[in-house]
Amino acid sequence: MQTAAVRIPGRIENILSWKEQGGGIAAVFPIHYPRELLRAFGYLPVEVWGPPVVESVSSAAHVQPYVCSIVRNGLSFLQSGGLELADILLVPHACDSLQGLGSLLLDFIHPRQPTLTLYLPRGRRESDLSFLAQELHALYRRLAEIHGDSPTEPELMSSIRREEAADASLAQLHRQRSRLPLSDLAFYQLIRSREYLPAERFSQLASEALDQAGPITERGIPLLLSGIVPEPMALLNLIPELGGWVAADDLASCGRRLYPAGTSQDPFLRMAERIIHAPPDPTRGSSIESRHQHLLSLAAESGARGVVFHDVKFCEPELFDLPDLRRQLAESGLPSLLLEVDLNDPLSHQLHTRLQAFLEMIV
Amino acid sequence: MAKIEALGVDVGSTTVKMVAVNDHGEMVWHMLEEADPRAADQVSRFLAEAARRFGSLNGVPLVATGYGRKLVQQAARQVTEISCHAMGIYAELGHGGTLVDIGGQDSKAIRISDSGKVIDFAMNDKCAAGTGRFLENTAGRLRVPLQEMGQDALSSADEVPISSTCTVFAESEVISLIAQGIPVPAILKGLHRSLVKRVAAMISSVGLTAPLMLSGGVVKNPAIRAMLAEETGSAVTLPDHPQLMGAYGAALYALRIAE
Repeated sequence: MQTAAVRIPGRIENILSWKEQGGGIAAVFPIHYPRELLRAFGYLPVEVWGPPVVESVSSAAHVQPYVCSIVRNGLSFLQSGGLELADILLVPHACDSLQGLGSLLLDFIHPRQPTLTLYLPRGRRESDLSFLAQELHALYRRLAEIHGDSPTEPELMSSIRREEAADASLAQLHRQRSRLPLSDLAFYQLIRSREYLPAERFSQLASEALDQAGPITERGIPLLLSGIVPEPMALLNLIPELGGWVAADDLASCGRRLYPAGTSQDPFLRMAERIIHAPPDPTRGSSIESRHQHLLSLAAESGARGVVFHDVKFCEPELFDLPDLRRQLAESGLPSLLLEVDLNDPLSHQLHTRLQAFLEMIV
Repeated sequence: MAKIEALGVDVGSTTVKMVAVNDHGEMVWHMLEEADPRAADQVSRFLAEAARRFGSLNGVPLVATGYGRKLVQQAARQVTEISCHAMGIYAELGHGGTLVDIGGQDSKAIRISDSGKVIDFAMNDKCAAGTGRFLENTAGRLRVPLQEMGQDALSSADEVPISSTCTVFAESEVISLIAQGIPVPAILKGLHRSLVKRVAAMISSVGLTAPLMLSGGVVKNPAIRAMLAEETGSAVTLPDHPQLMGAYGAALYALRIAE
């Protein structure tokens, strides 16, 4: 894959290269999980956000029709052999559908690979931090059983610092996006390579891209993109085609995972701090008010004139918040638009019209 | 012969409309036909008719709107029907409010500010419920001419509820009601109510700011107008040519280019 600035290794190319070096692959479902813990055991995390455009008939036997296409496609992808290169599966509890997927895998489907789950607390209190640290400790013990060996505390800390460095680079890319010679599509191809590249490789790519930063360039009507995942990625071509550009994002797969560095010297608490202190996210129980303030702050920093909620159909954590969140944003003078998509469908003509009308409205 | 300064065309799913405006932005000519699948050829024919009436169209900009706007190669610009309907109705009525456009295959609620700007909008474009196609299908099943179904509905004191919002299922429900011997006007009234409730829900999603303004071909139906007023509790206002508001708005956008 070639962007204007850097060459990004493809997902399969990267997986094969990692395996050739003797590493294992952890296929990870959305959203929040400790990359550093998996890496400390020698597993490269490769995320499964769908993937888009998968024949999802096989999963229909296991999940209800009103389950989102991220879960449906992920399960179908697994059942069709798409995750054969993975050595373990990790299903964090992001929502009821993903929790259901974890249970289905453990109780009924029994994939070849060991399946691990991770419960995430729904808050940011001290008790949530402590709960998550214990959950991460339990995950560590489970990984040690599977792997037959376990990293030492210094090895864990070293892995954490490597991921913190990569996340700092990711945050820098987000902040500098208006200075980078990258289209919306190229920018998201770059930052989404964090979903499968080793942290050190990602940091190197980010550094190469940041070296090419120039003066701020006007690219169209600035938008704030919110939602789960920017799929179909054709959306990132459509937005500039209609005269807009993505000035900032609040996407679960991207901007909501700008994990800050931790402060604790206890590796489990430190990993927990990073997840707990990430930007607001409904799947982690963030209040609508905190999300409202976060979106206002992102819009003020980036100059975004409106918010586009680009959500996967049936995504309950997202859609439950939207009526109140959109009302509060409107009262704060920030207009918004809701676009609902299914990962298996191309962008519709209706979606095109809504987006164009929204841009005409906020210009 | 009147001089025209700009043209707008609304390539809708059911009809295609073209409007010409003078330098004051007044509508001086229009043309309307059933939509032809070969939209580009149809627009060329409209332009030829405009040229026959007004002479050369050189230097007369054209803006296209409607679902087929991208097919109009002759257009200087393509603008969505949301912006065009808002522009047209504001020019015609001279005030803001909430505009409801019920078209053949979609419907929209658009909140317009006192200065004519679009503040918010909602579209019902995922299924035929709440659109003209809903009435067209069921009118066909009841063998009632489309132009008469609104009056027939209003003539009935009785009304049967239609529980299906899906056009296809509503048609099955209608067949069942006919089989039960329910009079056609009562069924028609229920069908109109079903459509109007759907549209009223869409209006509430953007918020109703009085007055409630209507555009689109379906608002020629008197039952839709009466029931919308009843459901929303707001008097409804109509422009002289509700079906032409999109094309008129497009012509006004084109006039900005001309200026």
